[in-house]
Amino acid sequence: MNQFGFYFDQTRCTGCSACRVACKDWNDIPAGPENWMRITYTEKGKCPDVFVSYLASPCWHCDNPMCAAACPVDAIHKREEDGIVVVDRDRCLGNSACDEKCRKACPYHAPQFGPEPGAKMGKCNLCLDRIQAGKKPICVDACPVRAIDAGPLDSLEKQYGRARTAAGFTYAKRVRPAVVFKPKPTSP
Amino acid sequence: MPQSSASDKNVRIVRATSAFDCGGRCPLRLHVKDNVIVRIEGDDAEEPDQLRTCLRCRAYRQYIHHPERLMYPQKRVGRRGDGQFERISWDEALDTLANQLKRVKKIYGNGAILLMTGGGYLASLHRGGAAAQRLLNMFGGYVTHYGNISSEGAVWASLTQYGSVMVGHSREDMLNSRLILLWGWDPARMISGTNTMYHLIHAKENGARVIAIDPRYHDTAATVADQWVPIRPGTDTAVMAAMANVMIREKLQDQAFLDRYTVGFDRFKSYLLGEEDGVEKTPEWAAGISGVPADIIASLAREYATTRPAALMDCQGPARSAMGEQYNRCAATLCAMTGNVGRPGGSAGGGLMGIPVAHMFRSPGIPAGKNPFELEGPKVKGTLDIRERVIKRIHINTLFDAILKGKKGGYPSDIRMAWSMCNNYLNQTGNSNKAAKALQSLEFFATQELFMTPQARYADILLPVTSTAERSDLMRPWPSGPYFMFSNRALEPLGECKDDLEIATELAAKLDIKDFETHSEEAWLRRLYERSTDLKHHIRDFDRFRQEGIHRIELETPVVAFRKQIEDPENHPFDTPSGKIEIYSQRVADIVDGLCPPIPKYLPTSEDRNDPLSRKYPLQLITPHPRNRVHSEMYKVEWLRETEPHRVWINPVDATPRGIEDGDEVHVFNDRGTIAIIAWVTERIIPGVVSVTEGAWYAPDANGIDRGGCANTLTRDAYSGGGAAVLNTSLVEVMKGKRS
Ligand code: SF4
Ligand code: SF4
Ligand code: SF4
Repeated sequence: MNQFGFYFDQTRCTGCSACRVACKDWNDIPAGPENWMRITYTEKGKCPDVFVSYLASPCWHCDNPMCAAACPVDAIHKREEDGIVVVDRDRCLGNSACDEKCRKACPYHAPQFGPEPGAKMGKCNLCLDRIQAGKKPICVDACPVRAIDAGPLDSLEKQYGRARTAAGFTYAKRVRPAVVFKPKPTSP
Repeated sequence: MPQSSASDKNVRIVRATSAFDCGGRCPLRLHVKDNVIVRIEGDDAEEPDQLRTCLRCRAYRQYIHHPERLMYPQKRVGRRGDGQFERISWDEALDTLANQLKRVKKIYGNGAILLMTGGGYLASLHRGGAAAQRLLNMFGGYVTHYGNISSEGAVWASLTQYGSVMVGHSREDMLNSRLILLWGWDPARMISGTNTMYHLIHAKENGARVIAIDPRYHDTAATVADQWVPIRPGTDTAVMAAMANVMIREKLQDQAFLDRYTVGFDRFKSYLLGEEDGVEKTPEWAAGISGVPADIIASLAREYATTRPAALMDCQGPARSAMGEQYNRCAATLCAMTGNVGRPGGSAGGGLMGIPVAHMFRSPGIPAGKNPFELEGPKVKGTLDIRERVIKRIHINTLFDAILKGKKGGYPSDIRMAWSMCNNYLNQTGNSNKAAKALQSLEFFATQELFMTPQARYADILLPVTSTAERSDLMRPWPSGPYFMFSNRALEPLGECKDDLEIATELAAKLDIKDFETHSEEAWLRRLYERSTDLKHHIRDFDRFRQEGIHRIELETPVVAFRKQIEDPENHPFDTPSGKIEIYSQRVADIVDGLCPPIPKYLPTSEDRNDPLSRKYPLQLITPHPRNRVHSEMYKVEWLRETEPHRVWINPVDATPRGIEDGDEVHVFNDRGTIAIIAWVTERIIPGVVSVTEGAWYAPDANGIDRGGCANTLTRDAYSGGGAAVLNTSLVEVMKGKRS
């Protein structure tokens, strides 16, 4: 399998949310709690020695996706050819029926639900339609400062190195997320 | 799952852009199906040249197709300001407006008609108010406003110092800088030209040291700054003066540069040394004013003076304040003292950042003709004396005061009716509560709008206009590129919307104006292209330009402001009376009782932190740009709203004694008004200062508390001596929960 994944350059990210909005537009997701791409925020220190970082948080298409294992009806599936973890919304029981088992199993809370009762799970699918059309995911193309990349994990590692942690992110060994980082140093 | 528009044959891709009053101009590929935009993609140029949109245009379709867009003409039925309207026909709406224009002209004269135009749509053909200006000039004239809310202080400073407003470098030139001072500049948020933040990151990755001097540790600083120097608002000039003093005391200034290219440095020097007023402008002196420690001021001075080339990037926010012009002038003076003007990797200061190639200021437009109301008296442009400019016009930040007071208040006329388009000044100029009173007092108010904005609520007649997606137009970036854009019409007009040009054309018939030219949009665009020297020079094939939606200008070397004046001063004097950079300006000195000094100076003002009023209102308020809307445009777009709650930034040092915790609802207030807003307790702001982004919509409740959190409910409707709108010089207090 040729595992696909992300690269995130935390030293460039300004926390602007262009990726998040582009994701909602491309994947046609209404405003509300369902966010396939989230931006998380860290602040430490005291004025004037303050540390601030942002972390882009999609689904990391883990090598060992606990969300899939947790789903009672096998609605989540890791694709053979590229390792992209996708959800079959027809099969998904909806959050009230299963109590959001996938979201609770995921260390990164990537599975997302809309506000309506019984909402089916939705999450980043690495813009599979775009990948299949030979394009990069929309978040990659949208980032004004080119802080995100996506593609086969081995080539991302070759290009950007193998750093597996960043501020506000913990590499969960039990799931092995498909991501490499350029982390932001906490002290310059 | 959404349909895949990529493979849907019924989806057309339209090359367009937006015309917001933002710092960018970004190529968009709109996916259109059945007159609906279904998705957005950005520029598809090869990297590294892609011009990437910010989050706002990523949400473009939710703006264009927002359910609250105004779709048909309406008239007021309830009390003015209550927001109760009833649908009417275009005929009735335009008849009403035409009849009011005739009535007011007949009874009071043309000076009683106020035309309010603005930056809500920035392009050539449909530019805010161009058609209305032409129409009203043919109708005998009107009174209007003068000055630009954003940048008037920077304009005055650049004209005084250089005789030019083109003081910027193209952004890739930052790659040549070894040191970059972000002085009140946050391009991650206010954009400053598409890709500007990306170029700044490249400069940083290329080894430039970056220092941010700002009351806030904003996102640009958080991303690229090696050092944050927190500073109190309104005191930038004091710190700059002290830096200049250190340079002089330690002989670090580029005296050869000063001798060759500037006039008046000695006058500035004698001010710094205290020969003028007995107070030397030492780092200790500035520390007491600004809160920046003296040793940091001294090391800033040394580092800036000895690192070549270095770019001091001042912008316009700190200049939107009392005596704000002094900040841009003093910055430009430091650029000269360090010999960085006209040099790659350096900067000229002045705050405007524009380059002369394909600049928005040079866009062609509908010829407006002359305003008969303004024929008498001094010219509106071309003088540094703001009082001359406001003889025939009203300064933008006193617009509503002028409506209330008229001639008795020293304004050019008594206003009885207003016709407005492309603006939301109630929300976007100082003192919104006063603005609301002023709009109440009018005999008639008509507005062209896309949404029921706080200002539109006060209309008697509401005319729904098309969005950028429903028009074609020629567009240009502000303030950096260089490139030209053609935005193609993606949609047929939604609902009953009309464009402003159509509205003016139909009104012309109702006002019996015969020679108001009635060309189609298509014919106008060709004419504007034919008439525009720079468009014709760069673009041979108009149809191809339209098809591609953009024409990029290849630069052999980055644009550097005043490069010629520095390389070859004999043949290229500055456009000032002396032909040199004017650190001392005789023109300013000649303005009797000038409200601005002829050399840059730090001067105390009312509502700075030493004003006795600070005992009642001890916190300084700043009102920076929002990220998730363009000023007050796009306020309704939910995809954007959810990215960032509207909050007041407050340091724990100020929050704790007031019992305020992160996330609490607080009231921010002064004698002008009260806003209700959520507190964000953060170390990212200097103690003593709070920050509310401008542009949230004014929404007073029954008790007059603005539940929308409009920053201008708290700001002053005043302008500084050089025309800067005084929006960042306000004292406030913050309290938890309800104000008793
Ligand atoms: S890859 Fe696509 S679906 Fe995943 S976060 Fe990015 S834009 Fe959203
Ligand atoms: S678009 Fe880029 S800079 Fe903006 S939040 Fe996303 S990753 Fe960060
Ligand atoms: S709002 Fe302005 S800067 Fe942002 S994407 Fe649109 S045009 Fe570009």
